[in-house]
Amino acid sequence: MSAATAVLRRFKFSREVVLLGVLIVLMFVMSLLSPLFFTVGNLLNTSRFFVEVGLMALGMTLIIITGGIDLSVGSNVALVSVAVGFTYAAGLPLPLAIVFGLVVGLAAGLFNGLFITLLDLHPLVVTLGTFALFQGLAYGLSNAQAVSDFPDWFAYFGQAYFLNVVPGQLFIFILAVVVVWLILSRTRFGRYVYAIGNNEEAAHFSGVPVRRVKLALYSGIGLLVGMAAVIYTSRVYTARGDSGLGLELDVISAVVLGGASIYGGSGTIGGTVLGVLIIATLRNGLVLAGVPSTWQVFVLGVLLLVAVFLNEFFRRREE
Amino acid sequence: MSEVQAPTPTEGGTTIGTGLRRWLVRPEAPALVFLAVLLVAFSLSSDKFLSGSNLESILVSVAVLGTIALAVNQVILCGEIDISTGSMMGLCAVAAGAVATSTGGLILPLLTGVAVGALAGAVNGLLATLGRIPSIIVTLGMLYALRGVILLVTGGSWITGIPDETRVLGTGSVLGIEYPVFVLLILFVVMELVSRHSTWGRNVFAVGGNRRASRLAGLPIDRVRFTAFVLVGVFVGIASIIYLGRAGSVQTNTGTGLELQVVAAVVIGGTSISGGRGSTLAALTGAVLIGVILNGLILLGVPGIWQDAVLGALILLAVATDVLRRRLLGDKS
Repeated sequence: MSAATAVLRRFKFSREVVLLGVLIVLMFVMSLLSPLFFTVGNLLNTSRFFVEVGLMALGMTLIIITGGIDLSVGSNVALVSVAVGFTYAAGLPLPLAIVFGLVVGLAAGLFNGLFITLLDLHPLVVTLGTFALFQGLAYGLSNAQAVSDFPDWFAYFGQAYFLNVVPGQLFIFILAVVVVWLILSRTRFGRYVYAIGNNEEAAHFSGVPVRRVKLALYSGIGLLVGMAAVIYTSRVYTARGDSGLGLELDVISAVVLGGASIYGGSGTIGGTVLGVLIIATLRNGLVLAGVPSTWQVFVLGVLLLVAVFLNEFFRRREE
Repeated sequence: MSEVQAPTPTEGGTTIGTGLRRWLVRPEAPALVFLAVLLVAFSLSSDKFLSGSNLESILVSVAVLGTIALAVNQVILCGEIDISTGSMMGLCAVAAGAVATSTGGLILPLLTGVAVGALAGAVNGLLATLGRIPSIIVTLGMLYALRGVILLVTGGSWITGIPDETRVLGTGSVLGIEYPVFVLLILFVVMELVSRHSTWGRNVFAVGGNRRASRLAGLPIDRVRFTAFVLVGVFVGIASIIYLGRAGSVQTNTGTGLELQVVAAVVIGGTSISGGRGSTLAALTGAVLIGVILNGLILLGVPGIWQDAVLGALILLAVATDVLRRRLLGDKS
């Protein structure tokens, strides 16, 4: 056991290297399972699916670093999707409907943030409530109907190809990764995020505007959810009350797999991106191997538990 | 009650004032007041509401929810949470249903359901205590993992043809009370006694109220929390038999979304989500309140698709009230 720990100790500085190794092994296994997996077309196509989860995971990383969590992201996707689809169906020009959708996503995030900061409530309770509230509003407002008669150009967000191979939304994701990475590692705000996660009380007494940072984070993830929801709606070309159902599991799993401690204080954007890639590879590979989607949920559920367990196990060893 | 030992009042009106104040600081007081207001409001707006059969059908409809809420109440009192009960109920119902269709009887399916539930609860408990994973993450993972196990076991098909003798807990009645209500009330009395008079019951409050102090006082905090998670499994197992009796079949999506209703019932009833404060009566009141609200919405003609939104709003309302009430009462904890 001690030899194994020593090896792990040496690799402690680069969890990302380990994750990269896992990703490569996973891709190798998947390419054995299905000859279709390791084709350029499929690999690029996979990126179509992880952009939505990826965008939300970026925001979730910062929130989990502060020791918080947002369970409502999947439901918020449904709410934004319905907001875009049904205001469009009601006669609003589509560009305005999209802007409205983004505002709804932001407002939903702000609502979470205000509830959490003004009442000093634990985010998991608040977002468990809004998980049900947003989902219910999406069902209720859409009257369990779907909208899918969008104009052709709407497909641009989720179905466009650049140079015929690269999915368009990949650029949005890369841009978002760079922006969030810069914020987290190069700004004062980013240091505040880590400070709050390490010791909220100490951060507060050191003059960190804890409430304002949290408010910004929960609103920020709302905006990212809005973007993800527009891409999602465009990709499936349908606005429905059950869009994004259960996505919070993918998002949280990706972040935790990427090494962010669920207790706060640690986590990186690089780790999260690798986590997102691993989950996307896993999902895609399982689809190609003909595993039903319900089983994928099982695999993800177990993966989430194993990842959190290993994280905390090694953290305690190191201390 | 302890009102008898209240300090001697100096003025005439103070005894009633103290008594009322004492009652108002009880965790379930706001929920009971709210319940009373709702009962009056619904019976004024719909003459069907206050009929005996409607009231009993409300209680029957919350039996599954209430039974599970009684146990999850203990988990929340410990300062933990369990959001895996929806899938757990589905799995228990599948296991009990499979046994019922092959052997019949009531005892064997009941024991199966309880055993499967206890096993799932033990996994939750082990991961949350020895694994040191926050219970929200443990039970979120289990919510999805157990749903996968259901699909593995059933292969996606329904279990139908549950024999009548197994269904008795859902369909029969005893002493003029329908069985689901009877079981719920029995379990309520049991939990009330356990919570007030057993060592474990008192330890739950201590661990939830101040975990560090409890550890320093030598309480077995891991064992107390583990037991609470297993208890949820046992109660979910019992609830799954009531469900089997009422529904007569099991689908792969049985129990979906139940976990939210359960948590909502507990916190709406007045048990504090941060642990240490609450009561068994709070869980029961919360469950009945949810039953009344859902029933009232139907009578008022509100479409069922708004259920989730109402539930979410109620959870938020309940936790906000809890915080504001504690601020008003000057309770710093």
